[in-house]
Amino acid sequence: MRRGRGVKITALDAFILLALLGFGVFLAYRVEVGVSYHWRWEAIPKYLIRCDPSSGRWRPNLLLNGLFTTIRLSIWAALPALCIGTAAGLWRTSRSFPMRMLGGAYVELIRNIPPLVLVFIFYFFLSDQIMAALDLEERIRSSSAGTKEAFALLMAPPERLSGFISGVLTLGLYEGAYIAEIVRAGIRSVDKGQWEASQALGFSRRGQLQHVILPQAFSNILPPLAGQFISIIKDSAIVSVVSIPELTFQGMELMASTYLTFEIWITITVMYFLLGFACSLAVKRLESRMRKD
Amino acid sequence: MTGKELGDVIVEAHGICKRFPSGVLALNNFSLTVRSGEVVVVVGPSGAGKSTFLRCLNGLEDVDEGSIVIDGALLDHTKANRQKIRTEVGMVFQAFNLFPHLTVRENIDLAQVLVRRKSRKEATRTTMELLERIGLADKASAYPAQLSGGQQQRAAIARAVAMKPAVMLFDEATSALDPEMVGEVLEVMKGLAKDGMTMLVVTHEMGFAREVGDRVVFMESGRMVEDGPVESFFTAPREERTRVFLSQIL
Repeated sequence: MRRGRGVKITALDAFILLALLGFGVFLAYRVEVGVSYHWRWEAIPKYLIRCDPSSGRWRPNLLLNGLFTTIRLSIWAALPALCIGTAAGLWRTSRSFPMRMLGGAYVELIRNIPPLVLVFIFYFFLSDQIMAALDLEERIRSSSAGTKEAFALLMAPPERLSGFISGVLTLGLYEGAYIAEIVRAGIRSVDKGQWEASQALGFSRRGQLQHVILPQAFSNILPPLAGQFISIIKDSAIVSVVSIPELTFQGMELMASTYLTFEIWITITVMYFLLGFACSLAVKRLESRMRKD
Repeated sequence: MTGKELGDVIVEAHGICKRFPSGVLALNNFSLTVRSGEVVVVVGPSGAGKSTFLRCLNGLEDVDEGSIVIDGALLDHTKANRQKIRTEVGMVFQAFNLFPHLTVRENIDLAQVLVRRKSRKEATRTTMELLERIGLADKASAYPAQLSGGQQQRAAIARAVAMKPAVMLFDEATSALDPEMVGEVLEVMKGLAKDGMTMLVVTHEMGFAREVGDRVVFMESGRMVEDGPVESFFTAPREERTRVFLSQIL
């Protein structure tokens, strides 16, 4: 047995491991015999990637496209989430009572509504109005082919753009509340002496925040912020209910037409996990690199 | 240092009262006048209100009663007034409070650019001159965490001096330092005094007070006990309380 970080298995550990193993075998048995499910794994790959018959090139199919949409959605949603979250976090630490109240109201409101309800409210009540006012779809449609392609690549094709943007804003608004709390904690984590020193030098509050407090706050909260990005990826599944073709939505569509329930959901689970785990590893590396500095 | 030519009134604190939310009366009808070029050393037991007094002078604490005039400008509650007065009052803290995410040079540049509206180049020139003078030129691009306590405090003094303030406040600037580093910081402070900087120094370094101070103010429980020239303060204090205090620390 190795010393130091060696693996030591006690009798209890062995029992627990065996019990877990037994439960797994039982579950597999139930699915295999009890449900008598007919596995058709061979049908899955073609939903990930398919060969385009006209050009003979390989193209991502429904599930992989769904994954890409999830990634695009998460990255875009991180922007409004960070902006709203930073603003609300600042308001919550503001000296002015109305500002603190505003920040507090936003955070409490968002955190105490089910995200699913938030999606519906935002999608049906707000985004319709906003999108209609912006007239975005029409503008994109009448723009050049290059612009259209760029939008399709970075966000969504013109016919789905307004839905995509609603999804991004909803997700941003939702995650912003959690980021606000992280930012607030970050600002609080900066030593009082830093406020006093910058104050004593005659800085305006804006100057203090911009040059002294926020740079330190953000370097303190980089790991939890990156962790929140993983939450955005996971939470992005909720916008599937308003027909944004991200991974979960594609899975539901596919299931409805193929009935490959287990195969599809297991595949989707693995896809989400790999994406989330990859980000998680990146966060860990970031953390250890920051500790070294 | 006696017989120094004294100029205009730079700091005039009149009848200051300050009560903390806890109910402690930190300053009780405290008044003090400091003239240009003077080095006033403030001593007294801990909890006497020395630091609170300094912090009131640049508006880090609000006074409940009394008035403060810095270089002819009355300190009031408006933001613009406070910011303006703070640029005229340099402060050095016990805990240095350098900005840890900036290099020494950036620490000293920042307020010059942001508050004094200097160009980056001009600010850096002033910064490098100051660093040269305090012997830290080779640390210009080091981060505060890479410096010793004494070096950090010297840099913090340079940061305040770079603003060309009318008066410098030192709030126990050497109390957080290891004994072997106290000297280098006091040297820098002596240099400033020699250059004619108006200084208000809260310290426990009686040697420094004797050598550099023009006047010594002894405070206790938020009140002024004694205010007199350095020599007579140490050799012939007027008040009994001062005598007791001096016998305890000397």
